[in-house]
Formats: sequence, structure tokens, C-alpha cells
Amino acid sequence: MLSFNKGTRASAAFLLAFALVLAAFTGKNFLEMRLPDRVVPAPGFTSHMLSEWFPNISGTPVDTPVFTQDSGVPGGSVLIMGGTHPNEPAATMTAVIFLERANVSRGKLFVIPFANMSAFGHNSPQEASPQRIHFTLPDGSVRSFRYGSRATNPVHQWPNPDIYIHEASGQQLSGSEMANLNRAHPGVEDGPLTQRLARGLLELLLREEIDLAFDLHEASPEYPVVNAIVAHEKSMMLAAMVTMELEARGVPIRLEPSPKNLRGLTHREWGDATATMPILMETGNPSQGRLRGRTDEDLVMTGQDKFYAKAAELGRLFIPYVTDQPMDLRVARHTGSILTFLETLEFLDPEIAITVEGVPSYGEILEEGVGAFLSPVPDQ
Amino acid sequence: MSWFWPEGFYTLAMITAFGFGAFALKLPIAVAMGLAAVTGSLLGGAGIPLRHLVEGMFGYIDTILIIATAMIFMKTIEATGLLESVAAWMIRKFRSFPAVLSLGIVFLIMVPGMITGSSTAAVLTTGALVAPVMIKLGVPTLQTAAAIAMSAIYGMIAPPINLPAMIIGGGIDMPYVGFGLPLLICTVPLAVFTALWLVYPSLRKKSHDPALEEELSRMARTPLTARLFLPMAALVVLLGGERMFPEVWPPLGMPLSFLIASAVGIFSGVKWNIPETVTEAINDALPVMGILMGVGMFIQIMTLIGVRGFVVVSALALPAWLLYVGIATSMPLFGAVSAFGSASVLGVPFLLALLGRNEILVGSALSLIAGLGDLMPPTALAGIFAAQVVGEKNYFRVLRFCVVPGLLTAVWGIAVILGAQYIAGILY
Repeated sequence: MLSFNKGTRASAAFLLAFALVLAAFTGKNFLEMRLPDRVVPAPGFTSHMLSEWFPNISGTPVDTPVFTQDSGVPGGSVLIMGGTHPNEPAATMTAVIFLERANVSRGKLFVIPFANMSAFGHNSPQEASPQRIHFTLPDGSVRSFRYGSRATNPVHQWPNPDIYIHEASGQQLSGSEMANLNRAHPGVEDGPLTQRLARGLLELLLREEIDLAFDLHEASPEYPVVNAIVAHEKSMMLAAMVTMELEARGVPIRLEPSPKNLRGLTHREWGDATATMPILMETGNPSQGRLRGRTDEDLVMTGQDKFYAKAAELGRLFIPYVTDQPMDLRVARHTGSILTFLETLEFLDPEIAITVEGVPSYGEILEEGVGAFLSPVPDQ
Repeated sequence: MSWFWPEGFYTLAMITAFGFGAFALKLPIAVAMGLAAVTGSLLGGAGIPLRHLVEGMFGYIDTILIIATAMIFMKTIEATGLLESVAAWMIRKFRSFPAVLSLGIVFLIMVPGMITGSSTAAVLTTGALVAPVMIKLGVPTLQTAAAIAMSAIYGMIAPPINLPAMIIGGGIDMPYVGFGLPLLICTVPLAVFTALWLVYPSLRKKSHDPALEEELSRMARTPLTARLFLPMAALVVLLGGERMFPEVWPPLGMPLSFLIASAVGIFSGVKWNIPETVTEAINDALPVMGILMGVGMFIQIMTLIGVRGFVVVSALALPAWLLYVGIATSMPLFGAVSAFGSASVLGVPFLLALLGRNEILVGSALSLIAGLGDLMPPTALAGIFAAQVVGEKNYFRVLRFCVVPGLLTAVWGIAVILGAQYIAGILY
């Protein structure tokens, strides 16, 4: 019979050496996740860092690129932000499509594709997420983007307290929410990294007088707020008009008011603290849900999952799910919704309207796929 | 593709591999869990995914640090003589009032859990403090451990801090507000039952045993001075301060708080061998820390190859009349990997399935049932540490005495869910 009760110096040395080799091998893999994704901004965009608006995050892992395109023609200012939660990739990819395709002929467009840059650099333990997702472009080249975590990398912000107290409201949440950017707004000037990042975003909104701001997300299909627009009171009129328009175009979407007692989220805090009309949007992403089966890149890209199909049969889901929920559909929903918002803004208040051309429509993305609208990465 | 194949097969294969490793090969539980994880990944076509195995382990890094440092603290107050001296004092003071003493002991164990949200903290602080009291007063060792484990779980669930409820609420964006009374309804009756079922009968019989006096004199050989209480006082201040004055108190976290409190033991006026105490503490904690790492690998592979989804949707697929049975069984069973994991993975879908009742009461009750996971081997954080505190090597012997209060806890949790609207009508 094997005995594991007695160790020797030799066995200890062997185990230590084994652990070191394992750490070196996996450590290299984990460090590769920190290499930033490459993007190819459309002509007219200029590249900045968020720290230009809020120096407190300069040189930190949460400083993130902000791309701006100013038409020079008076109009509104709009922010499109993806990557609040890097495990919600349709949000990031929608921002990337605007970044790589948009031509702004009136007003000013701001794009932040990787809002929580730190959270892109790791995966959440025990979620078994893929590290990268891949898109094939029309020229046959392949581009990859990181599939990160919902939370700021613990290497950058750790430990979490047992209880997270949202500073502006005193609201208590589970300690892990301290590393969740969408529970950190409006941020804390000298707080932990995630809270400082939120404060940096607030500064951007305030100083650039952003009129309309999108915070893009995905949610698990069993979550009640999915395939939805969440709007602050000041955005509600616009959001209601957009919801009706989308329904008329055959894109079912629900409209939810921003709860006043749930604090720290963009749709509440940005609306309360700035003149911005904040909009949060969710699509249904089975790869982040609790009911999912095998977890891999295929699930992220296709959303095909027999357990979600079963859950849909049982009436447990909040989206119409038959066999899949592909990335193309999820990005198409976000992109089409934003374009509808921009069109509708014209009717609501022409002075703050902006005109954006070159971005593929809902139908075009569904037909040709996301990869068709990404630009090849030039050789370095 | 059928419902069962292949994920159901993977589930059985992983359980079989674990059983084979743990019972046939007599591997340590931690290694058996790792073996089961690798078996699952091989069968699931994922090879031996080192990244996933290591990443899974990191899910418990915070818990492991808490366990290691809490054990150092417990060994420190044991080495300084505080545990035995306090036990002797309590026995002399309250042995004539067994009912009050029973309830007081259970409440005392609950307090650190209520403040920290951790059953481990409760077991290793006041649990360790009262264990010798209970044993000397005649409560059998196994019942003592069971009472400590159950009380620690009720402390973890009782307000003001209940992490499983926060996790479940967070899953549907429900703020942790208004949970105080529902959580008291969930826990107080059970705590009273535990005191009367596991503690009181033995205290009543033995509280006037004359042979006890000699033993008490030996136990009280370290004078119960204020300095002796310094480590415990430091811990109360550090943990309590963070909870009560979060705006001004530096967020040290439990591991650092335990370490600082242990270091304060230097000023307790008693000399003891620090390196030996720390080494013994880590040595004692290693098996549990190893189990957590094994469980981390296991759960990551479960998720990777679809076993997690199979388990969750199978529970949700139960017919309506069986849903409550599913809640009462699957949540504690999944707690075998982690009570917090059970709250997140099963608690949130179950709460979504029960929307329309009072969500705060349902969430509170689900957190109570999830808390039972801390009794479930192989992790069984509350149970294994309670066994360790009383010096019992075989946790399964302790578990036998947790069955009655454990079942009652599950039944009470389901009763609160069923009566949620009625109770809400009274409360709000």
C-alpha cells in the first residue's frame, strides 16, 4: 500500500522542483494575457490615454486608451465604452467595430474599447474561460482578442475586503464587488484602482461634456435584465423612442429603468453626477452564465449549449433561446441599437446629434459576421 | 446528443476517480481531488490542462490565507494558556445555570461568524475558546464538535454579515439591504435548538460533578489577567473595527488581522515557543488547505467539461414538487466544494426560479441552506475545523451528530421559502 504520511528531504526537493517548473510554465501563460490587444483605428481617430483626463491613474494598470474622432462640425459628444467586464466580449467587439469603421461627419465620438484594462489580463478562477477568441477576416488573416475577467486583476488590486462599501452611498455589497468597475462609479479620487478608474471615466464625461454615453455589457441568459436597455430618468425618453423603433425593426429589446437604490452602476451614477444621458445595454451571452455546459471558445462564439436549450424549454431564460446565441448576433444587436440611438437623437435634440457613417448595420453584421468588419493589422 | 451523455458520464467518472483515490489508494483527499480533476479533463478531451488546474486552485487563495493565519491565532491563544483559563472561569461562573450556559455558548460561537461572515473564523476563535469548557462540563467530544460546527454556520448566516446572501443577491442585482430580520428568523430558532439538543442535556447532568474542581485548578494555572486577553481583544478590535467603521478603518483583511492579533500575544505576559507554535499551526492546517486546492482544480475542470452545467440544470429541471427537495439536497451537496460556490452556482438560479416570492426572504433562506455546505466533506470547513478543535481526527464521526440539526436546518430553510410571502406580510 502506498504511504503518503512520511516525506523525505529528497521527496520534498522533488516536489518543490516540480512546483517551480509548473509555476514557470503556467506563469508564462498567465503573463501572456497581459499583452494588450491590437486595434486599427479608422482614419480620423486620435489616440489618448484616460490619464490625460485623470492623472491619478497615470502609469497604473487601469490606465486605458481613449480614441476620439472630432468632425470639427458642431454637434453632440457621444461615448461608446466596451470592456467594463472583459468576460462580455460582444461589448468590446462592438466598441472595436465603431473604432475601426466610424467616420464622424458631425459632432465628436469617443471610444473606449477596453474600459477595465487590468481585468483583460486574467481569467476568473473556476470559470474555465478561454483566454482568447479569434475572428477570421475577409483577407484570411486572423485577429484575436482577450477574453478576460469581470474583476480587476487581483495582482493589481488585492485583497478585497469582506464587505465592499460603495463610498458615495454606503451601500454594502459582497467584497468581491470592490474589483467590479460597474459597482465603483462615480469613483473615488484616491481610492483603490477600480474606484480610481471609475473616477477617471467620470472626469472624462465631465470635462468633455459628453451628451450621450453607452456602457456596453452582456449578461447570462437566465438573468432578468438581458437583451435590454437600462436607462436613467434623463435618458428614458430617448431610450423609449429607440426601444419602439427597434421593436418595429424586428429587434425585440426590453427597457428597464435604472433602479435608484442599486448604486455604483454607470446608468445610475453617470446620470446623477453629470449632464450625460447614460445608457447601459445587455445582450445574452451563454458563456458567462451559470447554466452553461462545456466552456470554450466555441461556446463564446456560437452560444450553442444544450443545457441552455434545456433551460429555455423549462422557461428559465429571459431571452428567446432555441439553439444558439452567436457573437455576430450579439454584436449586431449592440451596434444596431447604438446606430438607432444616434438616429433618434437627431429627432430628440438636433443640437446634440452626431452623424456617424461607415459602421455596419444590424443586418450586415448578421449576414457577413463580425470578422468582415475588422481591419487587418498592419505588420509591425 | 442525449441529456446524460457525455456530461453525466464525466460526472460519474470524476466521482469514481475521487472515491478510488481517496478510499482504495488511500491518497490524501487533496490529491484524490486532483486525480479526479485530471480524470475528468482527460475524458473530456482537454488533456492535462495545467493552466486550468493552477487557475482553479487560485480560487481559494484568500480562504487558504485565512485558514493558515486563523490557525496560527488559535494555536497562539492555546499556547499562552488563555483557552484553558477562560474555560475554567466560565465553568465556575455558569455551571449552575446549564440552560443559560448552553444558549450563551452557542451565541458566543456565533458572534465571530456574524461579524466576519466566516464559519472558519467562528470555529477557530470562540469555538476553540469554548470547546474545553464544554468537554470539561461533560459534553461528549463529538457533540461538542457538532455544536461548534452548527453554531459557526448559524453565525456565518446570521446578520449583520452574510456573504452567501450577498453573493446570491448580487447575482440578481439585489442590494444587501433589509436582510437583518429575515436572517434572524432563519438562524435564531435553529441556534436555540442546537443549544438544547447538543449542549444542554450533558450540562444538566454533569454541571455539579465534584471531581471537576481539581481539573479546573489545573486549567486555571495561568492567571486570567487582562494582558492574557490582549490577542483576543486585538482581534475583536481589528475585525470589528473594519465592520463597524469602514469609512475610517484601514481594510486589513482577515489574514493580516489574525497575524497581528497573534503577534500581540507577545505582550500577553506568558512565554511560549513561537516558531514551534507557528509550525504546528501550519502543519495542522495543511490538509485543509490542500483539500481546497484540490477542490479548486476539481471545480475548474467541472466547469471546463460541462459537468457544472449538467449538475445545475439537472437540479433546475426537477418538477415543481421536487424543486424544494432539490434545493434542500443539491445546495448542501454542492457545498462540498464550497458553501460560497454553492450560493453562487446554485443559489442564484434557484432564486431566479422562485422570483415573485419575497426575494429577500427567499435569498436569506437559500443562504442558510448553502451554509450547510460547510458541513459537507471533503471541504467541510466548519466541520473539519470543529473536529480539529476538539482533537477528533475522524470528521465523519462528528458529522453523525450534525445530521439532526442539519436536516432541521434544511427543512427550516424550505419552510421559510414556502412561507416567504406570509412572513414578509408580518415583517414589512
